[in-house]
This record gives sequence, C-alpha cells and structure tokens, in this order.
Amino acid sequence: MPEIFINGQAIEARDDQTVMEVAREHGHFIPYFCWHPQLSVVGNCRMCLVEVEGRGLDIACNMPVAKGMQVFTNSEEVQAHRKAILQFITLNHPVDCGICDKAGECVLQDYHYEYSGQRSLSHDEKVRSTKFYNLSNRILLDNERCILCLRCTRFTHEVSKSMALGVERRGDVSNIRPVEDRPLSEDPYSDNIIDICPVGALLSRQFLHKSRVWFLQPTPSVCPGCARGCTVQIWHRKPEWKLKALDQRQNENIARVTPLDNPAVNGPWICNKGRDLAQMFERVRADEPMLKGRPVTVPAALDEARRLIGAARHPVALVSNWGSNEELETFKDKLGEVFHCFVKQDWQRQPGERIEDDLLIRGDKNPNTTRARELFGHAEPDFKDGTDLVLVWGEGFDFARLPPRAGIIFLNSYLQPENGHADVFLPVSIQTERHGHYTNFEGTISAFEPCFEKKPGVLHAEDLIKALAAPARGHP
Amino acid sequence: MPGRQLIMTFPVTATSHALPEYRARGGYGALAKALGQMKPQDVVKEITASGLQGRGGAAFAVGRKWQVVQYDDGQPHYLIANADEGEPGTFKDRWILENNPHMLLESMLIASYALNVRNCFVYIRGEFDLPYRRLAEAVEEAYAAGLFGRNILGSDFSCDIVVYRGAGAYVAGEASGLISSLEGKKGYPRNRPPRLTVKGLYQRPTVVNNVESLSNIAWIINHGADAFKAVGTPKSPGTRLFSVSGHINRPGVYEVELGYPWMKFLDEDCGGIPHGRGIKCVVPGGVSSKVLTGADIANLKISHEELWDAGSTLGSGGMIVIAEGTCMVALLQVLMRFYHHESCGQCTPCRHGTGWLHRILDRIVAGDGRADDIERLYYISKFNDGTTICGLGDAAGYACSGILDKFRDEFEYCIEHKRSKFGGNLECLRSS
Ligand SMILES: Cc1cc2nc3c(=O)[nH]c(=O)nc-3n(C[C@H](O)[C@H](O)[C@H](O)COP(=O)(O)O)c2cc1C
Ligand code: SF4
Ligand code: SF4
Ligand code: SF4
Ligand code: FES
Repeated sequence: MPEIFINGQAIEARDDQTVMEVAREHGHFIPYFCWHPQLSVVGNCRMCLVEVEGRGLDIACNMPVAKGMQVFTNSEEVQAHRKAILQFITLNHPVDCGICDKAGECVLQDYHYEYSGQRSLSHDEKVRSTKFYNLSNRILLDNERCILCLRCTRFTHEVSKSMALGVERRGDVSNIRPVEDRPLSEDPYSDNIIDICPVGALLSRQFLHKSRVWFLQPTPSVCPGCARGCTVQIWHRKPEWKLKALDQRQNENIARVTPLDNPAVNGPWICNKGRDLAQMFERVRADEPMLKGRPVTVPAALDEARRLIGAARHPVALVSNWGSNEELETFKDKLGEVFHCFVKQDWQRQPGERIEDDLLIRGDKNPNTTRARELFGHAEPDFKDGTDLVLVWGEGFDFARLPPRAGIIFLNSYLQPENGHADVFLPVSIQTERHGHYTNFEGTISAFEPCFEKKPGVLHAEDLIKALAAPARGHP
Repeated sequence: MPGRQLIMTFPVTATSHALPEYRARGGYGALAKALGQMKPQDVVKEITASGLQGRGGAAFAVGRKWQVVQYDDGQPHYLIANADEGEPGTFKDRWILENNPHMLLESMLIASYALNVRNCFVYIRGEFDLPYRRLAEAVEEAYAAGLFGRNILGSDFSCDIVVYRGAGAYVAGEASGLISSLEGKKGYPRNRPPRLTVKGLYQRPTVVNNVESLSNIAWIINHGADAFKAVGTPKSPGTRLFSVSGHINRPGVYEVELGYPWMKFLDEDCGGIPHGRGIKCVVPGGVSSKVLTGADIANLKISHEELWDAGSTLGSGGMIVIAEGTCMVALLQVLMRFYHHESCGQCTPCRHGTGWLHRILDRIVAGDGRADDIERLYYISKFNDGTTICGLGDAAGYACSGILDKFRDEFEYCIEHKRSKFGGNLECLRSS
C-alpha cells in the first residue's frame, strides 16, 4: 500500500493502481479523452498530463503509483499544457457544434470552457476530411470531429470483439474506418461507441438531428429485451420544453435510450436492441376496453370479467413474464387461488437476432421470467379437459391454442387482431407509464420509472388485478 | 583516417562481405570465445564495463539496458537489431549491412547467448535493397555453416534469426513502434511504462539495439572492455560511424574515433566545403539533433559529452554539412514536411503540431508570413517537448527551435520582406 501525495493530500493507494485511478477515487479530477475505465490504456490524447515532483510532466492514465510520489494535477505547467493540448485538438476540428448532436454533452466543449476558453492560435486552413461517412446502417462518422482517442476501435476489439474498426493512414490524415470483411452492422453492441465517443464524431442515425440534448431528460428504466435486464436511461422531452404546436407526438416519444452504468448488471454497455425500445413501445396502442370487439366503458368491462371469473369452474391464467415483480406478486396474492396459473413467454427470439453471448445478450427474450417462475412454477401452459375460462395477460400467445369453448379475458397493451376475439378485452399500461421492478436471470432486481402518462381508458395491470379480485358490484 | 577503426577495418571488395573473408579476418572467433570460455553473465559484465553507448540516437548505455533482462525469469526473451535507419541524413548502418553483415550476425549471436534469447530479429528498412540482399545472403551462409540453429558450435546454445522488412515508416524505427510493426500491427509506438526490456515483443522482455551498437559487441568480446575503453574518450568510448552528406566534397560513411577534432574531420577527411565556402551550420547526428553553427563547432571534438555541452547530440550519426548561402527557412520547411508526413498520428500534440509547423513554414516561404509566426513556431515546439509517446514529436520541436534559435533573423527577414534572404537556396553555389 504505497502512500502517495496528490496536491498535497496523503493517500493510501493500492500497488496496481495508476495515478488517474487514485486521483478519481479521492476527488482530484484529471481531465481525459482517451482513458476509459473499461478499456485498455492507450495514452494518446495527452489531456491527463500531470506534474510529478522531480520527474516533470507525464500522463496520469499510464502512471503507476510509486511510494512517496508528489503529484500535482493543477500546477501552472499543467494548466499551460492543457491549454496547448486543446489548441492542438481544435486545430483541425471543424467546431461545428451548432449542427452537432453531441453539443451539450461533448467532453471537448466542456473542457474548452473549463480549461482554455482561448481562441485558436492558428491562421492556417484546417485539414478537411469526410463528414457523414457511412459506418453502418446505424452509425455515421464525422472524421473532422474525430479526435482519434481510439475508444471506438478499442471497444470493438476488447468489448464487443467484432474487430470492426481500425485506423487508416497516419498523422493528421488518420481516419477511423471499418475493417474490410468485418461489418460494424453485424456488431449487436455497436451503438455503445456513440456514447463513449467523447465528441460528436459518431452519430446515431436514429437520433440524427432529432433533438438538442438539453431539451431532453433521462428516466431510469430497465430494458425488457432479454433476461439480462440492462439498466438504461430513457430520454424524452423535458416538461418545460414540451412542444405546444407542430409535432406534439415528440412530447410522448422516446428520443433515445442510453445505458445506465451499473456494475451489478450491464456495466456501462447495452446492446442495440436496448437502443431500439422505441420500436417496441411505440407500436399502435389499444386504449379502449371491449366486449367481443365492441368498445365499452372500463366498469362495464370489469363487471363482465368478474362475472366470467365467478361463473368459471376451471379457470386458467397465462401470466405475463413482462409483468413487474409488484404486478406478479399482486396476481399471486389476489388471483393465485382463483386461477390455475402458468407462466407465458411473451416474446420469442426474432429472426436474425443474436441468441446469446458471454457479454450481455441472453437467450430468454423477456425481462421477468425469473420472478414469474418463482411465483408460478416452470410448467408449460396446459389446458385440461374442462378449462372453461382463460385469462391471457400480455401478448405473444396464439389464440388457436386456447380450448375452443373457453371464455377469454385478455389483457394487452397493443392494437392486435386477438383483442377483438376476447370475450373481455382490457387495455393495460406499458413499462414507460408505470413504476416497477424486474428480476433478471441472476436474481438482481432493477427498478423502472414512468416517463409518460397513460391514456384514460388504459389501466395499470396491478389496479386491474385488484379490481378483478374484488367482489362483483351488486353481489357482496 | 579520423582516428582508430574498429568496424571499417578492411578494404571493401566484391567479396569482402562474404563468410570466407569474414572468417579470414578472424570472424566468429568472438562467438567461439563467448560460448567456450564465458558465462552469459560474463558477457553482460564485459559489455557493461566497456561503456558502449547506443548508436541509434539516444546514446543509452547498452550494458544498462541489458541488465534489466533477468536471465532466468522463465520467459522467452527477444533481441531485435534496429536496421530501420530512417533518420534523414543517416545511412551508416547501411554500410555495415552491405559490407560487413557477419559482424552484425556474430554480435547478435553473442548478445542472444548473453540474454538467453532463442529467437532474434533484424527489422530492416523496407527501402533497403542491396543491404537486405547482403544480409539475407549472410544469414543463409551462417545457417549453412551451423552458426544459427540448434547447438551452435557444438554448445548447448541454440538460436534462430528472422529478417523482417519494414514498410517505409520512419516511426517504425522507434523501438516500440518497431515492435508493434513486427507484431503485424500498425507501427504505433507505445507508452512507457512498461519498458521494452520488461514487456516488449509479444509482451516479453525485449532488447532493441541499433545495428552499429550491436556490431561493436564482437570486437569488445574479442579484445576486452579495457581495449575498447582505450579507444575514444573516457565518456565516449569507441568509435562512431558517420554518414556525411550535404555541402561537402567527399560525402560518404566514415568511422571516427570519438574525441577527434570536428573541423579537422570535415576539412581533411571529408575534403572540406565545395567552392571554398564557409560552414554555415552542421546537423550533427540526424535532423532530430539541434544544428550547430560553424562557429559553434570550430573548436569542438566529436564526442557525446562535447555535443551535449554544446546543446546538441551525436544522435544517429547522420551529419549534414550546410554551407554559407543556404536558406534556413527553406531548409526548415523541408524538415517540417518530413515530420508532418511521418507523424504516426497517435498523440494530439504531434499529430496536429507537425502539420501546423509545416503549414506555417509553407506560408512563410510563400511570402505570406505573419509577425506572430515565429512565436507560434516556438509555441508548437515547446508543447511537443516531453508531451508525446515517442521522440518524434519532441524531435520535430528540437529541429525547429534549434534552427530558430540560431537563425531567427533569416525568418524575420523572410516574413518582413516576403522573400528569402538567400533566395530559398538549398544548393552549394559557386558564387553568391
Ligand atoms: C522517431 C524515431 C525514429 C527512430 N529511428 C531509429 C532508427 O531508424 N534506427 C535506430 O537504430 N534507432 C532509431 N530510433 C531510436 C530507437 O527508438 C532506439 O532508441 C534504438 O534503436 C535503441 O538502440 P541503441 O540503444 O542501440 O541506440 C528512433 C527513435 C525515434 C524516436
Ligand atoms: S470516432 Fe470518437 S471514439 Fe472513435 S477515435 Fe474518433 S473521437 Fe474517439
Ligand atoms: S442485452 Fe438484453 S437487456 Fe441488455 S440491452 Fe440488450 S436486449 Fe436489453
Ligand atoms: S510523438 Fe508523433 S510519431 Fe510518436 S507516437 Fe506520438 S504521434 Fe506518433
Ligand atoms: S487520458 Fe491519459 S493520455 Fe488520454
């Protein structure tokens, strides 16, 4: 345990640590571009230069701690060098922040304000390069904005292992380029490079010029795309920036999804499916209860459902593994004795989707199979002779498999043909409209929060379950 | 002859590079001596005692580098001869490769024996044609004679060698860039730590030495460290090969005993400056070493210590003589074009700084200079010094500030009058 000094503060460091790591742990911020806690050290941006007594300047990210070393993270020399590094970085940088999606969360912008604020010292023309280079069906590359920190190439070599990116040419005409025969579009983790790019060089096609980031706010959530249950941030329009005219749908839309750094589940990464939650959640919604396809009020639909339940002799429930822990527990508590319950797989693997790997992606494409099975067992849905009522909760079940003469109560969120075939159809809210928790395949529980309001005709499944368990009106 | 000679000891003929003649000159005797009479540790001790300094640029003591390698640490070790020779003005390793390749090979075998190396490498500049063919022939001859392979000269010592041709990047001559390139990657230099002697090629302890540094080993083992130290000066033992070019009557490769008077060397051995012109300045050892004016070197001896005192270095031994009447602005432009072109582009200051230097000089030469350009050139040089992964960024800065320090007036003149004081001339003219 060598003792080192950072800005005069004595710190017990571990032998295997770098000065960068120790400084961060103890609140001495050292600016960096290329360093990343999950990637190997390349030490090329030189932004983390610090001064060591008796040794002069060197980079903190590649500096092992040594007993008694005196490190200064903010000396005059260090400050002058940071300014110079920023001069060099912006020498050929287009500074087109006005049309850059990264503006507002760009490390280069932040550092410029924090450590320089100087005008460019150059009078010469900038080196031009490619803008909007087509890296994949998901990602565009602006080589002029790239500061060659090599985070993206390291990510594809060390984390996603697609080896999809490399550097072409050298010097100030070096360009990040795709590697032949290793298409980035086949890397299911590719979009993480957009997040870790410290500048606006890597651009999401989905998000391109969609919104300034300061109009958006993140809500913590959990990706339901597989049993990993990565924690994510769902970005949506801030209430104070709600559009009052023009495209008001934007107020209710998911603008983008980014990882929520979580060592217990997904670290700082998610897969591209998690980025595409809008495609899943923004399908056309069902917002009216129905009896055999005929729209009715919520109380009328509830009454009919309760009547069916009361009359049934052998009712079966297919419980959704997209239900939250709270909803599943409520179902068990309120209706677990009434129904013979099975866990239903709401989602199956889609064609072309990666089945499973050893980074994040799991073969079970549902978020809460773990808790559902804990409560309702592992048996596959099975309709014994005499099943006279089936409650189907959630999508993905083929109605042709239901017993022909049984009544059907259907709880679903989306507009689907089956809705009209049910005796009672009840629209339920989706994850982005409610609180809850999922239990992932390892038993880790993560919370999600609401981003948007639900529609009036739509019910939260938890309330609905309680209402179904209550005695029917007029029959105490 | 500029003093005693250890390397260029024989008349070059059509066959003097081949094995039989090398043997006739006593070749591979040092290897037999090392394998037969010395323990590996003794070889390291002898080289350390000789005080041999690296000839690749930094003049780092060869023995001190070797001592870092733990003979018995259970890991494979590697030895690499750096034959990339990319420093402008430097072509002295080429002489060894073409004319005395077995001296390098014998020395590498001794070094491999000393450092417990089973596989050694020569990384040779891609543009070298004859040197490569001569080296490849020598390797074949040596294998045929049982000097490489298993149980060399009947001993327990086995060693193989691979000659690897570079693809034409200056930065691949930097020891860690060389290793990246040899591993099949882009020739990006690496940050230290770890030192290459701890984690080098394939993450194993690796010694990289210049061709000329290594070639001295056989002589030292043959004659002993004391005999070596008797040549040269106390702080600069031995000789150095200089490739002399520029405005000089007899350009070429010379072996100079360290401590030899500089002007005597240029005037007598190299035949002086054409057309009887005076010396404006010399680049002492490759363009990455700071220039010295004619006045600076008038009384200097050629040795590491005198050069360091004068604020420069013997560098890579690429000596470029520049006559009176040469335009230093145009010269610096050429140098900056080189560094700009050769920067690997990893580190921020070098990637952008070298291009910035180049563009400013292009502008000054074109008659478009600005009053603050000189200050800017200094700024860029200063912030490349000690802030980069390898020495290329620093070197560009040294070359630039070195010339600015000595010839600032020429730049001021060019900026103010929008033309060169010397007409942009880079030739050695008959009359002014
Ligand atoms: C940009 C750059 C280029 C270099 N090129 C060469 C070269 O071509 N040949 C060489 O021997 N050393 C070159 N060096 C020096 C090597 O990094 C290394 O120090 C040397 O090969 C060690 O050998 P020595 O200790 O025997 O001199 C270069 C260094 C730098 C920074
Ligand atoms: S594209 Fe972004 S992440 Fe990749 S090297 Fe450039 S700046 Fe770094
Ligand atoms: S790995 Fe699974 S949980 Fe994580 S983002 Fe991808 S689909 Fe969602
Ligand atoms: S100093 Fe220049 S050549 Fe050396 S590693 Fe950095 S960018 Fe590459
Ligand atoms: S963060 Fe240390 S060099 Fe980039």
